[in-house]
Amino acid sequence: MIYSSELIKGTLKTIVLKLLADNKKMYGYEITQRVKELTLDKIQITEGALYPTLHALEADGLVTTQAEYIGKRVRKYYTLSPTGKSKAKEKVSELADFMDTMRFLLDIKPTTA
Amino acid sequence: MYTLSDSQIKFILDDIRASGIEMDDLQQNLLDHVCCIIEHELEENGDFERFYFSTIKTFYKKELKEIETETQNLLTFKNYYAMKKAMITSGTISAAAFIIGSFLKIMHWPGAIVFLGLGFITFSLIFLPLIFLLKVGEINTKRDKVVLSIGTLLGILYCFSMLFQVMHWPGKHMIWLSTLAISFFVFIPVYFFTGIRNAETKVNTIVASILLVAVIGIQFTLTALRPSAETQNKTYAYVQNEQLLKKMQTSSGDRLPVGSLEQKLVSDIQKTCQQLKELILKNETGQTFIPDDFELHHITISEGILGDGFYKDGTGIKLLSDLKAEIALYNSSKLKTEENKIPVAHTILEAASDRIGLYNNLSALNELTRIQMHLICS
Repeated sequence: MIYSSELIKGTLKTIVLKLLADNKKMYGYEITQRVKELTLDKIQITEGALYPTLHALEADGLVTTQAEYIGKRVRKYYTLSPTGKSKAKEKVSELADFMDTMRFLLDIKPTTA
Repeated sequence: MYTLSDSQIKFILDDIRASGIEMDDLQQNLLDHVCCIIEHELEENGDFERFYFSTIKTFYKKELKEIETETQNLLTFKNYYAMKKAMITSGTISAAAFIIGSFLKIMHWPGAIVFLGLGFITFSLIFLPLIFLLKVGEINTKRDKVVLSIGTLLGILYCFSMLFQVMHWPGKHMIWLSTLAISFFVFIPVYFFTGIRNAETKVNTIVASILLVAVIGIQFTLTALRPSAETQNKTYAYVQNEQLLKKMQTSSGDRLPVGSLEQKLVSDIQKTCQQLKELILKNETGQTFIPDDFELHHITISEGILGDGFYKDGTGIKLLSDLKAEIALYNSSKLKTEENKIPVAHTILEAASDRIGLYNNLSALNELTRIQMHLICS
């Protein structure tokens, strides 16, 4: 099952921040691949959603960038800034709390294997 | 793994640019992203162009440019909530300032100008632009955006016209007439012809347009295009009195011995009268005197109340009480016969202190000129 884009849209910032918190520096393509890998293809981040988010995070000062030349093209690496680090923690715990609330609200029983 | 040549990279970058991506950063990001996909997924002898076009298609729904639009939206509206909050705060501040300012103005208490000015500025320069920025993002059609832009601009102009009127700044008529003209000749036609084409908004557009024409028409009838003959005659009378006073001042010379108490008192009263007149004229015409070529500049003293400008920083009230004291001292002098005393009955000097704001400005000016004439004759 691939999740709908509406579900992913609200959590994309958190996903990107958390990935950057766990990996020192990443570039766009790497982020999409890592998410695909970790979620066994269930979450596929689209380019149309990822790059606007990365630019917004940069404008907010949550990430810093570093350009690296690969032949004729430039690769932009993203790293969390100090404020980005605390924001990542804040966003993850907010989402965890939200998930607990949703579990309670929608009365979802934990699935036992 | 496929290896991309320099010309292929240039080909991709050119295509991304041609698709309408203008931000340099975004171009580079997308270029690297496509290159990575091609390098990882295309076989060594695969068809580069076909694979590229099928890959780039997965980046968007309708066109590649939507990524840039989304990026710009996020960058512009990253402060969406802050903007909304600022809009509500500035709206509340301006509403409160308008209410307090209006109340002070009605009561002729000091501070009205400060509050009204604050209201006008926050409303026109913070509140209206914020509404525009927040609303323009929600609107899809170009026509509505044009109507909203002109409407916002007019709102700001309208506020400035009122501010200019209240502060008696030069150019107040010009800005007010431009506001009315733009409303009537630009805004209403644009609003009417864009709204009437849509069946859903047709009736509302017609009703709203009629209301707008009526409101602007009423405001236009209230606008004096040129001062009335009566106002002009009163201004001439004041200017003629002033000329007479000047002539009397120069021809009388110094009758009183220099350094005497009376000479000092007379010059004090003259000075205070002059300062008071300058203050009243400044509030009324924006200048401290009526220049000789006043007709050329369409300067007239339109009769009205002294108003808040007189109370501002307490200058008017202080000058007036100084004048009262000086004249009382002058009149109480033993040498003064009854007919040599300066008459103060039914002048601004006798007005109750809480009613001075309501005093007629032209009367006050003429009374002060007469006091100055009395001084010279007695």
